[in-house]
Amino acid sequence: MYAPPVQRLISELGKLPGIGQRTAQRLAFHILRATPEDANALADAIRDVKDKIGFCEVCFNLADGPRCRICADERRDASVICVVEEPGDVIPVERTHEFRGRYHVLGGALSPIDGVDPDDLRIAELYARVEAGGITEVVLATNPTTTGEATALHLAGALHERAPDVTVTRLASGLPVGADLEYADEVTLGRAFAGRQGV
Amino acid sequence: MPPVRTRALVVRTVDVLETSRVLTLFSRDLGKVVALAKGARRLKSPFQSSLDLLSVCDIVVLRKDGASDSLDLLTEAVLIERYDSLRRDLRSHYAGQYVAELLDALTDPHDPHPKLFDAAVITLRHLDEPFLRPRRVMRFELACLRELGLMPALEDCVHCGANVNVSVENDRVAFGLATGGVLCAACRPGQPHVATLSGQTLDVLRRHASPGNSWRDANLDPRALAATRGTLGAILGHLMGRRPRLWPYLGT
Ligand SMILES: [Zn+2]
Ligand SMILES: [Zn+2]
Repeated sequence: MYAPPVQRLISELGKLPGIGQRTAQRLAFHILRATPEDANALADAIRDVKDKIGFCEVCFNLADGPRCRICADERRDASVICVVEEPGDVIPVERTHEFRGRYHVLGGALSPIDGVDPDDLRIAELYARVEAGGITEVVLATNPTTTGEATALHLAGALHERAPDVTVTRLASGLPVGADLEYADEVTLGRAFAGRQGV
Repeated sequence: MPPVRTRALVVRTVDVLETSRVLTLFSRDLGKVVALAKGARRLKSPFQSSLDLLSVCDIVVLRKDGASDSLDLLTEAVLIERYDSLRRDLRSHYAGQYVAELLDALTDPHDPHPKLFDAAVITLRHLDEPFLRPRRVMRFELACLRELGLMPALEDCVHCGANVNVSVENDRVAFGLATGGVLCAACRPGQPHVATLSGQTLDVLRRHASPGNSWRDANLDPRALAATRGTLGAILGHLMGRRPRLWPYLGT
C-alpha cells in the first residue's frame, strides 16, 4: 500500500471515466515526478474551471457568467432553438455557419437502460422556453444514434402537443448513422442542417 | 489468447476518454463481453459507427485475462443488421432497450447462450408490429428464463412433482416466485414469495413458452395478457433483484 496522500490521489483519479486502477496509478506517479509548478498548474486549472465555468441559465451551454456568449449576443435569432445533447455539440454546429439562432443543451440523450429518464435531462426547461412564446422553430440536432433518435422522437411528440404552431425539424439524413455530432465534418453537418425537415 | 470472431448485439455503450467507447455486447459465441473500442466515436474509425446501441455486428474480440480491471479489446466491428423501427417509433425503441436490459442483467460474462442470442435478434426484427409487440416481448422474457435454466414449472408442483390442478377454470393456483413454479396444496405452506395465479395466466405463459405459432392467437383477453405480463415481471424482477429500468416505459 502507498502512503495515504498517494492512495487518495490514485482513488480520485480512478473516478474519472475510462480510468482503471492501473492507469490511475500511472497518472499518480507521473504527477509525483512532475515539477511543483506543473503539478500546481493542473490543480489550479481544475479549481479554476469549477469556480468560473457554470451552465448558461437560458440554454445550459457552458458559460463563464450567468449567460453564455450566444444567449448574450443580441444579433442571434431568438426565435429558433437548436437542441443538442452536449455542450461539445454546439461547436461543430457553429462551425457550419448555417445556424444563426440559439441553442438548448439537454445534457445527454434519453436512455432508460442507462438510468437516463426525461427528468434527468433539461427537457422541462426546453418546454418552458418554447411555451413562453416567440419561438417559431425548434431544430432537433441530437446525435444520429439510436438513443439520439429516440430523444428526438420524444421531444417532437411533446412539442407538437404543447406548441402546435411551432415548426419542429430534424437534421437531414446524410450524417452517418450511429455517429457523434461532435466528430462530424462541417461540410456534411452544414448540409444536414440546411436540408433539415419537419417532423 | 487468440482473437475471437463472433456475431454480437450491442446492449450498452458508454463513451470514455476523447474518442473511445466501452461496450457491453451480447455475442453468439462468447456470451456477454465488456470491451473497449478505441476511437469508436470518430467518424472514420475502423468500426464505421457500427457500434450503436441495439445494432448487430460481426466483431473481433481480444480477450484480456489477468488483472480483473482490464477490459477485453475490440479490434474490429462490421455492421450486419440495424433495426429502423427502433429509431422511428418510441414504443419499439423502449421494447428494444428492455431486451438489452434483460440480456445485460441476467447473463454472465463469457457464458454463451446462442439460442438466446437468436431469440433476441428475432424479437428486435419484429418489434414494429404494435399488436404483437407486448407478446413478442413476453416470448423473449420466457426465452431468457428457458435458456438460462430458470424456466418456472407450469404443470406439476415445483417442490414434489405432484400433479397440480392448473386447468383454465381454476383461478387460485399457488405459484412460488422464489422457488420457480406452481406449488401443490401440501407444499405451499412455509414457501416464501408465493403469488396466486389463475389457470388462464398459466395457460397464456405456457402458450408463449412453446415453439410454433399458437402464441399468436388473436383472441387473447387483454386482462389475461396484463396479468401474465405482471407475473413474468415479478419473476424477472425477483431474479434481477430490482425492478427493470424499462418497465415504466413498456406500457401495455
Ligand atoms: Zn446560453
Ligand atoms: Zn408439492
